[in-house]
Amino acid sequence: MSLLSQAISDPEYPMSRPTRLPTDWKSDVMRKRIARRYAAERRFRLLGMGAVLLSAAFLAFLLVTMMGNGLRGFTRTEIALKVDFPASPLLLDPATITDEALSQANLPMVTGAVAKKALGGDADVLLSPTAWISIRDAIKADPKILGRTETIRVPASTAIDLAAKSKGSPEAEAEVARLKQLGVLSTGFNWNFLTASDGTDPTQVGIWGAFKGSLLTMLVTLVLSFPVGVATALYLEEYAPKAWWTDIIEVSINNLAAVPSIIFGLLGLSIFLNFLHLPRSAALIGGMTLALMTMPVIVIAGRNAIKSVPPSIRDAALGIGASPVQVVFQHVLPLALPGILTGTIIGMARALGETAPLLMIGMRAFIATPPGGITDPATVLPVQIFLWSDEVSKGFVEKTSAAIIVLLIFLLAMNGLAIYLRNKFETRW
Amino acid sequence: MTGPAILLLLAGLGAIAWVSARARALRLQTAARETGRRDAVHSLPGYHGWYVALWTLIPAGIFLAVWANVSPGLVTQAVLADPAAQSLPADAFSRSAILGEARAIATGLQTGAFNPASQALVEPYAQATSTYGVAGAALALILAFAGGAYAFTRIRPDFRARTRVERLVMTTLLVASLLAIVTTLGIVASLLWESFRFFSMVNPLDFLFGLKWSPQSAAMGYGNDDAFGAVPLFWGTIFIGAIIAMIVAIPLGLMSAIYLTQYATPTVRKWMKPTLEMLAGVPTVVYGYFAALTIAPALRDFAVMIGIHGASSESALAAGLVMGVMIIPFVSSMADDSIAAVPQSMRDGSLAMGATTSETITRVLIPAALPGVVGGVLLAVSRAIGETMIVVMAAGLAANLTLNPFASVTTVTTQIVQLLTGDQEFDSAKTLAAFALGLVLFVVTLLLNIVALRVVKKYREAYE
Repeated sequence: MSLLSQAISDPEYPMSRPTRLPTDWKSDVMRKRIARRYAAERRFRLLGMGAVLLSAAFLAFLLVTMMGNGLRGFTRTEIALKVDFPASPLLLDPATITDEALSQANLPMVTGAVAKKALGGDADVLLSPTAWISIRDAIKADPKILGRTETIRVPASTAIDLAAKSKGSPEAEAEVARLKQLGVLSTGFNWNFLTASDGTDPTQVGIWGAFKGSLLTMLVTLVLSFPVGVATALYLEEYAPKAWWTDIIEVSINNLAAVPSIIFGLLGLSIFLNFLHLPRSAALIGGMTLALMTMPVIVIAGRNAIKSVPPSIRDAALGIGASPVQVVFQHVLPLALPGILTGTIIGMARALGETAPLLMIGMRAFIATPPGGITDPATVLPVQIFLWSDEVSKGFVEKTSAAIIVLLIFLLAMNGLAIYLRNKFETRW
Repeated sequence: MTGPAILLLLAGLGAIAWVSARARALRLQTAARETGRRDAVHSLPGYHGWYVALWTLIPAGIFLAVWANVSPGLVTQAVLADPAAQSLPADAFSRSAILGEARAIATGLQTGAFNPASQALVEPYAQATSTYGVAGAALALILAFAGGAYAFTRIRPDFRARTRVERLVMTTLLVASLLAIVTTLGIVASLLWESFRFFSMVNPLDFLFGLKWSPQSAAMGYGNDDAFGAVPLFWGTIFIGAIIAMIVAIPLGLMSAIYLTQYATPTVRKWMKPTLEMLAGVPTVVYGYFAALTIAPALRDFAVMIGIHGASSESALAAGLVMGVMIIPFVSSMADDSIAAVPQSMRDGSLAMGATTSETITRVLIPAALPGVVGGVLLAVSRAIGETMIVVMAAGLAANLTLNPFASVTTVTTQIVQLLTGDQEFDSAKTLAAFALGLVLFVVTLLLNIVALRVVKKYREAYE
């Protein structure tokens, strides 16, 4: 007879232990208790949902604010200026229009005089300091207009631009009302913003110079960090013997990935600038500094990608007589390449948005012409944003936000490409 | 001959070497195979091609690199030996100015000379430059031919070309991976060297424990003694990065991770996770601008409304809040990883005992995942205190030692940017102080990372 049935058959058994009645789940106490626990459960769940939504709401708020400010930066207010060329003090022969003749014709002054005549009063302050460029371009495009009266759209000044788009000073608002009555105000797409470089007046600035600087810097970064990063990842993952010095390499890479970016700026300043005397503010050093930052990212992503290639591939290749170098370069690397590329794009996107180290190596100078090569002084998009954010003039607010929109679009495109690559080429072994 | 032309010529030679060596190896190997000695063939023809091409390119390339550094000195010597240089002034400075002008004219950077003495030197300069240029090119070509010819004579069916080429590949890989150590050493060396110079002017104890930070007054000549007390900076950094930012990031990040891993449907998770990760992808300069333009004025108005004195338009709270938001995805992904690492059996056990999901999370999962979460928070702190642009744009420059979150404080990174982006003289304590601050930042983030990784690793091992 087993112990259990013995216990059950023993009439004394239940009496020998304290009685414990089955829980009465229907009782008031238990119902309240369960209700309380379920309420806590719901609260916790809502708390979690709230945290997610709050974070997402912050992102949305940020993007909406930037859009709200920045979309206006892509448009500009234009004033239709009736220019009576024969009657203007402009001394130009339609037959011989050269750049030199145009630059000697004192167009800025003529533009001011024409504006006073057409719009009355102190109308020359209503125009952007760069308004004469529109007139020059019109003359260049068709010299025949010099013989007749022509209506040319020229950019308005910052004050008018602000007043026309949103809220400006009372005087500017009054002027805008007057101009509207004359029917000369219009809004056009600001092509100048995409083709010009930094300037002193918000109506004349553009992002092309900074954008080109970013492209050159990224090119240098990619050319330096990609080969070195991939080579390091291959070496560490495939060949490195287990030794104290490979441990040091590994520790340094992991540390470099966590070092604050501004420290790389200090390194670039003291080694590249003060020790090697490379050209200051140039895309070359910017790229070198960012390459040092990007390389650990590529190494870590590359090692994960290489690690995920199954050993059977290596064994098969070795088995039919490939050398270790052949195995890696003909089999492992091609299979790991999509993963490595994804990591590289993410690292490059981070480098594209980086500002602090570039400030350290002098890329915050005022540069009004786009760089011609990697040794020319240049600035990059994030630094341009930083510089414009420091400007006092109110017209720069929308320009800064517009530049941010451009930067965000590029980052989004790069990250989208990385996600696309990952989804398209991801192999589950 | 110009540099690009030589490089192009060398590249052409390398290609020719590759093609011809490969063809020869192929012929030899076919011949060897026809005699029936298959085992006598070692490497594929392509490896012979690479072997010869590398022998053509590498010695000549090394020579050109050396020559590019040596030849300017040789040219100058040749010019100084010229009779026209006998009349040069003796002092080094004006001599080098004249030589520089002559060089600029000779290379076409400048058209006319200010100094007649340099005009006389233009002709010798151009001559010497072209002489040494031709000599360098000729030597490089000779080396290329010699290297290629030597390698070419070694082509035989049983020559181990592949082994040689692969040895070079391995060396290249090794050198590439050593660059990481070189970079680390470069950082440590440059920070230590400049900090050492700083501490020879300022007492390290005054720097680490001083309560007054005013490098401007030191620069204006009031002495270095009590101008470089970095405690207000350390406090500002901790206040913003480790306190305010974490008060925002830890609850939001942790709760987001819990909701997305434990409650959310797969669709929600699929969309919300990348959305939250976008927060980490926004450049810091954008956050900084957002904080300065939108958050900081709103907070100041709020502070004025509730009657707080000393509310500044650049506040610790604005910078800290925005930085906290930036860190959310970081905390959330670390928490995600450590919760996922808790064995499923523990969760199942708790649920089987009748605990609700939230009870399981708060009493089983979180305690079990705590070391991982703590490690993640430490990593987040190390990232927050090294963050630069948000604080530069939103936290201000006033080195206040205050507990008021609406007041302006300054941080280590802000001051580094501030000290190094003005006019720079590299011997002043003001400039060198930036490197000392950088050293402190580097050491602290390094320690935080080491501790965090150790905590995370130890905890992983406990469950594996």
